[in-house]
Amino acid sequence: MRLLRMYKPFTSAGLQEMVVYRVNFLFFLLGEIMKCFVMFFVWKAVFDSSDGTTIYGFTYENMVVYLFISFLSGYLTYSDGSYVIGKEILDGSIAMRMIKPVDFDMCFLFQELGGKILQVLILFVPITAGVEIYRFIITGEILFNIPLFLLFVLSMVLAYLINFFFNLSYGFLAFYLKNLWGTDIIKGVIIDFLSGATIPLAFMGGFGKVLGYLPFASLSYTPVMIYMGMYSAGEIAFYLSLQVLWLVVFIAVSKLILHLAMKRLVVHGG
Amino acid sequence: MKRILKMHLIFIRQDLKKLMEYKVDFLLGAIGFLLTQAVQILCLGIIFSAIPALCYTLNGEVLDAWSFEEVLFIYGFSLIPKGIDHLLYDNLWGLGYWIVDKGDFDKYLTRPINSWIYILCEKFCVDAFGDLVVGVALIVYSLVSMSPETIAEINPLRIIPVVLVIPFAVMIFTSVKTGTAAISFWTKRSGHITHMCYMTNEFAKYPAKIYNTFVKTLITYILPFALTAYYPAIYLLRGESWWSIPVTVAVSLVLFGVSQLIWHRGLKAYESAGS
Repeated sequence: MRLLRMYKPFTSAGLQEMVVYRVNFLFFLLGEIMKCFVMFFVWKAVFDSSDGTTIYGFTYENMVVYLFISFLSGYLTYSDGSYVIGKEILDGSIAMRMIKPVDFDMCFLFQELGGKILQVLILFVPITAGVEIYRFIITGEILFNIPLFLLFVLSMVLAYLINFFFNLSYGFLAFYLKNLWGTDIIKGVIIDFLSGATIPLAFMGGFGKVLGYLPFASLSYTPVMIYMGMYSAGEIAFYLSLQVLWLVVFIAVSKLILHLAMKRLVVHGG
Repeated sequence: MKRILKMHLIFIRQDLKKLMEYKVDFLLGAIGFLLTQAVQILCLGIIFSAIPALCYTLNGEVLDAWSFEEVLFIYGFSLIPKGIDHLLYDNLWGLGYWIVDKGDFDKYLTRPINSWIYILCEKFCVDAFGDLVVGVALIVYSLVSMSPETIAEINPLRIIPVVLVIPFAVMIFTSVKTGTAAISFWTKRSGHITHMCYMTNEFAKYPAKIYNTFVKTLITYILPFALTAYYPAIYLLRGESWWSIPVTVAVSLVLFGVSQLIWHRGLKAYESAGS
């Protein structure tokens, strides 16, 4: 409780920042969701071209749900800590964070969560409602499942935290690399691919199965598959615990790197 | 005109010098764009491994079909005008995102040259080589691996109008960016509007027939990116839709005019944000 009270100002600062830029955010989103619609039509043509009704176990309806829900989870679990920290390290303003009597990573986390509140409000309801209406029109039955949905939300929260601590660790690479923008693009592409955001891991055969155990799948593939009801109860339990495991690993890694980086930071000054 | 070209070359030389200073930066940026395209193509390959060809069907009847090689060709072709615009005129992004917002635009107004041309010339964006390399590689690869029958259908004479239309296709990209970046003269920031309109070009990478009427109309007439990729590419391959060549020229000229109009209106409304 004390923790919440202490970090509330950061959250409201993050929220206010997001409110100021809400129109920009909306335009940006409309641009990004365009990619989903491109693939929506491409997949339609692909399924029309195929002899069977399923491809690697996915029907067209599955594929559409996959596209939009993975877009949603990709967005909500996105963390740009690596970029922000990198920039602060390069211009030295990170020192201002270091001298305050708050936890360095917690302060970032709560600031980002503030922005997330508005993103959830803007994105979550329209996209899930859209997907559910679409499913209802196609199949004629309501497929919305409350327990699965709650597990999906839990899995998304875990995915966000993994992403956050992964990015925190990654951000400290700014000590060694100057071009954050280039490495950020490269990182994004690789993660999108390995996490199944560009194409479901099920399409990649044995290689996809291996990827399923890596932390990247925990970022996006796991929550989406839970939402779609593609996992059995046993699998859900397994993948959720895998997410928890990766979360613990990345918290440990980021603490370690933070500890090491603090010593180096002296060189940079403020 | 000669003076502008000379100045553009000076700017490019400056940027190349900068490039030599930060070689790693350049490499990482170009690798990023190259990887983005490479991953998308890998995914296309995975998708196509499940089907013989991409078909356009209506009521269960196959009306048109494109082989994997043809889709790769269209995809590769789409990267050429996009890459050229990215290489030469990338600075327009900066205008909408921060130049006006930070009050840096005043600089451009005080120079004895048209402010639009100055903005265009100022930056030479070498990251675009990532796009261009992938585009050319895809075109070459798809042509080499096409079946002899498909190759036999290509009339070499058709290459001439298609090559000539590329500068006009580039102008479509540049005009869309100019028109939307100029909105920042009123609003201070418009980079996100540019982003939204620019992303429509994603639709142009695939055969336009697979989209519904709304999207088809959008990408052919309103934000006419299909004219920069699918139509010229399919004309080259099959001689289909020859009308698209003159239409591309006409549409790009109209868009250019509209974007210039917005730009000049914007300049009149512009108030500096700086102190």
